[in-house]
Amino acid sequence: MEQSEVLERVVKILTPWAKNEAALASVAMETSILDDLKVNSARLVDVVIAFEDDFDIEIADEDVDSVNTVGDAVNLIVAKL
Amino acid sequence: MGLHTVQRAVVTLLAPLWLPLAAGYLRFGARYRVADLQELRCEFDRIRSETRGPLLLCSNHLTLIDSFLILWALRSPWKLITDWDSFAWNTPERTNFAGSPLHGVLTYLAKCIPITRGGRREDTGSVLKRVAYLLSRRELALIFPEGGRSRSGRVEPENAAWGVGRIVGSVPNCRVLCIYLRGDAQETWGNFPEHGDTLRLKLACIEPKSDLRGARRSRDLARQITAQLVQMETEYFDGRQ
Repeated sequence: MEQSEVLERVVKILTPWAKNEAALASVAMETSILDDLKVNSARLVDVVIAFEDDFDIEIADEDVDSVNTVGDAVNLIVAKL
Repeated sequence: MGLHTVQRAVVTLLAPLWLPLAAGYLRFGARYRVADLQELRCEFDRIRSETRGPLLLCSNHLTLIDSFLILWALRSPWKLITDWDSFAWNTPERTNFAGSPLHGVLTYLAKCIPITRGGRREDTGSVLKRVAYLLSRRELALIFPEGGRSRSGRVEPENAAWGVGRIVGSVPNCRVLCIYLRGDAQETWGNFPEHGDTLRLKLACIEPKSDLRGARRSRDLARQITAQLVQMETEYFDGRQ
């Protein structure tokens, strides 16, 4: 799967949790999930589970520690596909 | 884990200097009173003696000094000094105490491991691992599953962080002592309980279990803890009516 396709699906998954619609509209690999998109950190677990379901992968808790930006999430998912 | 070892040594050495003053201020300065104090302390002692494995303290969160109020209520200052391990490590929100170097020193002395809610995931993960490590060494730790003070004044399961589930899931046979704390005059969240308030604490020990894996498991474990806190809150308000 191409990185651009993964990015597109990641953004789609993040959309319901992102409170900053302006940042969502101009989302890039460098966009911070918590700081820019304003995803509630407590809901990050739901985002991770959505990633698992959508891409049919398993993400360990420790893997999430390296995910700060949309690009981090994309790279993690690509590595697990 | 050198950080923990050094902090533990320093705070153990200095506790006799500041702990009686702090406890004295709560009782005679702020005039806080703990309802059913002796029964509460006996119950805590019983739970600790019955718990062979790791014990994580989880509480609702309404004021800046909840962690200290809980530890002050559960053990007398004398017992805390002579049994410093019963003074739990706790994880306050870093931004609440970042105002001055003095705050930094005080939190260090109070066995705090500051955490930044919504901070970099590596930092959060590091704190969670440190707490799990301490628990695995049979040291007590206190964490607020909601992550911050409840803005509604009630336990907010939807804001419950999954970090507490990660900790419990990574420490075999970890039991959780759920603590519901509220002052009689405390209608909602704030910095401190009202002067002269009577504090009420309820304890319930659970051992969360989950057959799930990964993030689902952490979320499931965290939900069991917040569900227990919600139940305790319901019982608290039912008892007030």
